[in-house]
Amino acid sequence: MSQRVDPNLMKELESYGVKKKDWNACFHCGNCTAVCPLTEQGSMFPRKGIRSMQMGLKDKLAAGVEPWLCYYCGDCSDTCPRDANPGEMMMALRRWLTSVYDWTGLSGKLYRSKPLHLAVVSFLFFAVLAVFFIFAKIPLLSDPANVQLNSFAPVHVIELADHIMLAVLSFFLLSNMLNMFIKVVIKDKSVKIPIHLYFKEVWLAIWNFFTQWSFRKCEGKLYWFAHLFLMLSYMAMFSLIVLFLGWFQTDTIHPITHPQRWIGYIITAGLIFGSLYFMIGRARKKDRKFKFSHHSDWIWLFLLFMIAITGILIHIFRINGMAHLTYYTYALHLAFEVPMVVTFVAFSKWSHLVYRPLAIFFANLKKSTLALQKNR
Amino acid sequence: MEQKGLTGIYFCDDFNGKSDAIDTAELMAYAENNPDAAVTWSPSRLPITDPEAIAAKIKEFKLERMVIAGDMPGMVKPVFARAMAAAGNDPGDIILAGFREYGAVSGADTDRAKGVIACALKGVTFGMAAVPEETDVNQDTVIIGAGIAGIQAALEIADSGRKVYLIEKTGTIGGHMAMFDKTFPTLDCAACILTPKMVEIGQHPNIELMSYCEVSGVSGKPGNFKVKILKKARRVNLSTCIGCGNCAEKCPGRAPSEFDAGISTRRAIYIPFPQAVPNKYLIDADSCLYVKNGKCGVCVKNCPVENCINLDEKDETVEVTAGNIIVATGFQVFDAKKVERFGYGQHANVLTSLEFERVVNAAGPTAGEIYLRTLDKKGNYVFPKVGTAPESVALIHCVGSRDENYHKYCSRVCCMYSLKLAHLIKEKLPSAKVSEYYIDMRAFGKGYEEFYERIKSEGVNIIQGRTAKVEGNNGKLLLRSEDMIEDKLIEEEVDMVILAVGLEPRQDAAEIAKMLGISQTEEGWFREADSKFDPVNTFSGGITIAGVCQGPKDIPDTVAQGSAAAARALQSQIKGKIRGNIKDIPLQKIEARAKELSTLEEAKK
Repeated sequence: MSQRVDPNLMKELESYGVKKKDWNACFHCGNCTAVCPLTEQGSMFPRKGIRSMQMGLKDKLAAGVEPWLCYYCGDCSDTCPRDANPGEMMMALRRWLTSVYDWTGLSGKLYRSKPLHLAVVSFLFFAVLAVFFIFAKIPLLSDPANVQLNSFAPVHVIELADHIMLAVLSFFLLSNMLNMFIKVVIKDKSVKIPIHLYFKEVWLAIWNFFTQWSFRKCEGKLYWFAHLFLMLSYMAMFSLIVLFLGWFQTDTIHPITHPQRWIGYIITAGLIFGSLYFMIGRARKKDRKFKFSHHSDWIWLFLLFMIAITGILIHIFRINGMAHLTYYTYALHLAFEVPMVVTFVAFSKWSHLVYRPLAIFFANLKKSTLALQKNR
Repeated sequence: MEQKGLTGIYFCDDFNGKSDAIDTAELMAYAENNPDAAVTWSPSRLPITDPEAIAAKIKEFKLERMVIAGDMPGMVKPVFARAMAAAGNDPGDIILAGFREYGAVSGADTDRAKGVIACALKGVTFGMAAVPEETDVNQDTVIIGAGIAGIQAALEIADSGRKVYLIEKTGTIGGHMAMFDKTFPTLDCAACILTPKMVEIGQHPNIELMSYCEVSGVSGKPGNFKVKILKKARRVNLSTCIGCGNCAEKCPGRAPSEFDAGISTRRAIYIPFPQAVPNKYLIDADSCLYVKNGKCGVCVKNCPVENCINLDEKDETVEVTAGNIIVATGFQVFDAKKVERFGYGQHANVLTSLEFERVVNAAGPTAGEIYLRTLDKKGNYVFPKVGTAPESVALIHCVGSRDENYHKYCSRVCCMYSLKLAHLIKEKLPSAKVSEYYIDMRAFGKGYEEFYERIKSEGVNIIQGRTAKVEGNNGKLLLRSEDMIEDKLIEEEVDMVILAVGLEPRQDAAEIAKMLGISQTEEGWFREADSKFDPVNTFSGGITIAGVCQGPKDIPDTVAQGSAAAARALQSQIKGKIRGNIKDIPLQKIEARAKELSTLEEAKK
């Protein structure tokens, strides 16, 4: 198969956070691949990816899933004899791949420009506040001791907004996923995956999604736990808000034994713990994987953290009957939520939630297909 | 006479902030006060990103010549060449003032750096202006270190009829080469080619061999050094010891054998190895029970010669005078324990290459048989007298070398000695599977590439791919590597792993450098005056360096450098005069000489 060489690939990748010093430094000793606990025969990274980067093999890189298989424990960067930070290059490749799958081009713009991303987030933040300011009926709810959240922000209105957002963003995300499928599987003529394998492998993919099992092979169990706890909490919160908002957002205050309350507590604990773990790590820069932070990492963690914090505050104010504070915090909560969802779900870091399991799914599909062919 | 155009000076490096570095601010102030410099720039005042911008500046100040000053000014010369051309000047009018080139590397050399700047501003070569005065030379030479470099230099000088004091820290001469089994690429037996030279040293009338001695101080000037030598108490009389070995038979003191790289034990009273020169016993104070507790003396009872062993002997210091000093202190091997993931020290059969040299040597603890190391009753790793041979052996290259985390440099010899070891394993255990994991194969010398081809044809698995880790697996060792050529991941289970450890400066190199007033490179090797044209001289007159202490090299290069150092010493001895130190020339003298030379140049035109 012919390969097209793109001499400008490195410039492009550098705008996603690959450092010239790093990709230039690699002398291809293979240490990173061999030290990685996740590499196996047939799925070897990061070195081969760095090779493709150096050679400008854009299509090959775009069709590869290897960057998604890496959870960034940092072993490769720690032991790299050239100090080339292969782990960080994988991270930057994930950003680039996200933009490659995104046909709108928005992803690339957000990743490449910190001011733009900040501007979009700020705009949405203030827009949400403005909507509440204009439409919410604060004067009518003048009883300061009686919290009527559902009159301030009626569940059906919020739910409708949720569903509209869900529909629009799902459209983008699903089309990006399809794009990924085409690039990774359909265009790869070397393996033809039998249909029945899809059904066989999908269970493993789901298992991997909910447990991040392969992540456990990496160094650092706390890292795995923080990542998984954050992800599961986020998923739980997401489904509560999108699918069960009527059950979750009530004016009656349930006793503490009610699942609405303790589920909410666990989720919030996960969000706070996870985002704090990553924020502290990134601020200290001591751990190899946290040494370099992209602006998307910080915006993402900050928004997640603020969503969780405002969520807690709403709860505290509501229980204590502090009506006005509840309404304002609620508006703030959504003002953090909306920009996070809009900019991250289909176009930035959030999407690794789907790309990574998909990548593992595709990688396993190819592996099983090759195994089948060998046995024949 | 034509009026000379203006000269600008650009400082490309900023050393401020680094400890013990040249004071850049002071140098810039010096340049600013120098009437020859029309303008002084530094990266903070004039960034070197855009030649056009620099050209504009050159035009603005009407400069016709540029001096670039710094550690390695050649690095930025291309930018200035373009700028000069763009400004309508001759790029040939760029003069480099390289501090490192003239040995100005630390804060103490700031005056020399000023001299370099003064000469460059005058358009005079520093070497022409800064000529040290010549003084009479003492005809004797002190050589520090009696490895193959020191031995070679000593023989060259002694054979020319001059006296040599050969000072060796350990109980025998021979150094690392004596420990090797074979030498690449000819596979000569190392001992067979080295021991005749060692014996010659011991018998040479012009060589005063001072083994078990250390240099403790150097004073005086080039041509007339006073060298203080600490004679460590050997506790055995060199002139009466007959080397019978009765003393060691019953000696209760034990210590790991230095000569066997620690894989066997020796007594407290010992002879480093059977062919040692001098072939006499000595007592290691650290393991001798008498020295430690004041009770024992078994060796004295068993010694057949009266008054030969004196357990109460004390260290003494002697002083010798010499005109030249040759430093040939060699190296130490990289401590493989630092790379934890290779499991050295955790697994019995992960060995360093130096240890394996002793295993495979016929005079080693296993009599040259390759056996697996086992645990003895006390929990120590030992090589059995009769044991099981490994079925598979892996050699890992570049341990501690070419690695940003340890040593960035290539140790130069590991590729070749690993190939040699692979050959020796194949020779002794033809059915063993031998694999070599390398990053790049550096077969750089005469006959080396051919040697590499030969080893490949002997059935050794030579794999391009750095091994990332070695893990214990049911008594076996599991290696993980990426095979670049075959494009696959290798997980190989072997019985024995040999780590090709790199060479590093000796721990006491800094101490020696300080004592002698010579400088070291970043890595700690002794710095030569010029890496190409003056590879054995240092910036200190009368002191030359030879062998691995100057930088990693193989035996042929070490021997060549030993001879070269000897030639430098002989040169001054034959001439009867020796050049002093550049650092002893006062700055005013260099400035005056530079001015004189530049006027001469002008007059010629």
